[in-house]
Amino acid sequence: VSPAADPAVISPQDPTLLIGSSLVATCTVSPDFPLKAEDLYWTLNGRRLPAASYATLGPSTLSVALARLNGSRQQSGDNLVCHSRDGGILAGSCLYVGLPPEKPVNITCWSKNMKDLTCKWAPGTEGETFLHTNYTLKYKRRWYGQDNTCQEYHTAGTYSCHIPKDLALFTPYEIWVEASNRLGVAVSDVVMLDILDVVTTDPPSDVHVSRVGDLEDQLSVRWSSPPALKDFLFQAKYQIQYRVEDSSEWKVVDDVGNQTSCRLAGLRPGTVYFVQVRCNPFSIYGSKKAGIWSDWSNPTAASTPRSERAAGGCDPKGGEQNTTLRRELKQFFGWVKKHAYGCSNLGIKLYDQWRVWLQKSHKTRNQV
Amino acid sequence: STGDSWGIFTFLCAALCNLPALPALNCSEELGAGQSIQQTYDLTRYLEHQLRTLAGTYLNYLGPPFNEPDFNPPRLARAERVPSATVDLDLWRGLTDNARLAANYRAYSRLLCYLRVLDGQVGTAELRHRLAHFCASLQGLVLSIGGVMSSLGYPLPAGPAGPPAPPGAPAAPNDFLKKMDDFWLLKELQTWLWRSAKDFNRLKKKVPPAVVTLRLEARGF
Repeated sequence: VSPAADPAVISPQDPTLLIGSSLVATCTVSPDFPLKAEDLYWTLNGRRLPAASYATLGPSTLSVALARLNGSRQQSGDNLVCHSRDGGILAGSCLYVGLPPEKPVNITCWSKNMKDLTCKWAPGTEGETFLHTNYTLKYKRRWYGQDNTCQEYHTAGTYSCHIPKDLALFTPYEIWVEASNRLGVAVSDVVMLDILDVVTTDPPSDVHVSRVGDLEDQLSVRWSSPPALKDFLFQAKYQIQYRVEDSSEWKVVDDVGNQTSCRLAGLRPGTVYFVQVRCNPFSIYGSKKAGIWSDWSNPTAASTPRSERAAGGCDPKGGEQNTTLRRELKQFFGWVKKHAYGCSNLGIKLYDQWRVWLQKSHKTRNQV
Repeated sequence: STGDSWGIFTFLCAALCNLPALPALNCSEELGAGQSIQQTYDLTRYLEHQLRTLAGTYLNYLGPPFNEPDFNPPRLARAERVPSATVDLDLWRGLTDNARLAANYRAYSRLLCYLRVLDGQVGTAELRHRLAHFCASLQGLVLSIGGVMSSLGYPLPAGPAGPPAPPGAPAAPNDFLKKMDDFWLLKELQTWLWRSAKDFNRLKKKVPPAVVTLRLEARGF
C-alpha cells in the first residue's frame, strides 16, 4: 500500500550554496511512520556520512552537519539522502554547490554575406562553476532600439549563437553575453561593431588548376569570385595556399590582389600539388577595412609536367636545377626593379618574357 | 472503414519505409503481418541497445546512488503514472493478440510523452542530443506497433494522452523526487523493451508470414 504522504521531509530542500559553505540538514519522519531518529542515517552521493556529524533534534528528527562543501559532483546536484536503518530511502535533497559565473570574454562575431551574424565567446577563466550555467547573447542598435535576444545557440561550438535576420547595415551594434546560474549573473563587456566590418563570404568557387603549357615549374590557378557578393560593392582580396601531395606544409601566396587567376612558379617538376583559395571581402561599400577571410576552398589537385630529358635525372641534378632557378629568380627580381614599376600584376608576364629572353640568350651563349 | 485502415496502414508503412506518403506508394515489398511483427521485434531489440547507452549517461548525470547497479528505491505513489510492464505470468500468457498489442501501444505512447518532457529540461547538450535521438526511434516503434495492429484488423487504442498526466499535471514537488521519477521512467522503459521482445516473439509464432499478405500498389492517392 503506497502511502499518500511522503515518508519523511528534509530541510532545506534543494538548496543552493557557495563552495566552502557549511550546512545543517534535518530529516523529519512523517507521523504515519513508526520510525525514530535513531533508526535513521544519512548518505551524500551514495556515501554514508559519519554518525559523529549527526544530532538528534527530536523523537523523529535527525540532523547532519556538513562542513566546507566542495563543488557539486554533478550539475544535477549532490544527492543528500535520509535512510531508514534497513537502507530504504525516506527522502532526499539535491545540493547545488558552486560558484557564481564569471564574465564571458573574447566575443568575436562574423557575418556571412552580410545576411546574418554569428558570435562566439568563452566562459570567464577556467569556467568550472559546478552549476549549470546559461548563456544569453544580447544585441541592440546603438543609440536606439531595445535589447534583442539571440535564439539559435551552439551553431559554431558550445559557446556560440546565430542571429539569422533583421540586421541593419551602416549602424553600430552593441553585443554582449550574459551568463547566469543559481548563484548569480555575470555580464560580459559590450562589443561594438558594424556588420559591414565583420563580413566574410563563401570560399571562391570553381577553382581550376592547370599546367602552363610544358613549363615544369608552373601551374595556373583560376577561380570565380564568390557569387553571393556579386550585388555588393566590394573588392575581393584573395590568398592561395598550396602544398606538395605528401607534405603537410602549406605555402601561402599573399599578394594575389583582386584578380581571379594566378600563376604559381618555382614548383617541382612532375609533382602533384594541392591548391586552395580563400577570399576576403575587402572594402565593402568603400569601408576601406578588411573583412574576415573565408574558409579555404576544397583542395584542387594538379601536377606539374615532368620533362623528358630529365629521364636519367636523380637528386643531385634536381638540387642543381633548384639553385640555378633561384639564382635566375634573384637576377630576375633585380631586373624587375630596374625595368618594371612594381606592378605585381604584371610580374608573371614579365617573368615569362624574361625567361624567353633568357633562353634566347642561353641559346646564343651555347652556340658560341 | 476498410478504406480507413488501408489509409492508416499505408501511412504507417510509408513512415516505416521512409517514403513520402503521397502520391503513389512504390512500396513493392509485400509487408505481411508476419514481417511487420519481425520488424517490430527487431526495433525493440535495437531500442533496448540504445537505451543502455542513454540510461548509462543519464544516470551518471543524476549521480550516485542513481547510477549504482543495485539501486532500488521505493516506487512512490506518483511513479504509478508510468505504465508498468510487470504482469502476472498467467495473465500475460492469456492475453489476446489485440490486448497484447494494445498494451504495448499504450505503454510506449505514454512513455514517449514523458521522455519528451525530460528532453525539454536541463541537462548537458550531449544528453539532450541522445534523448532526442531515442525519442525519434521510440516514435518509430509506436508507429510500427500501430502498423501491426492495423494489418491484423485491430483498431488503434484511443489517443496516447488518454487518462491524466498532461505535462502540467503533478510534476514532482522537489528535485530529488524528480530524479526518482526519471530513474523509474528509464527502469520501466527497460522492462517494457525486455517484455516487448517476448510479446512479439509470441505473436510471430501465432501469425505465420504467408497467411495475411497485403499488397501495396500505386493507389493513385
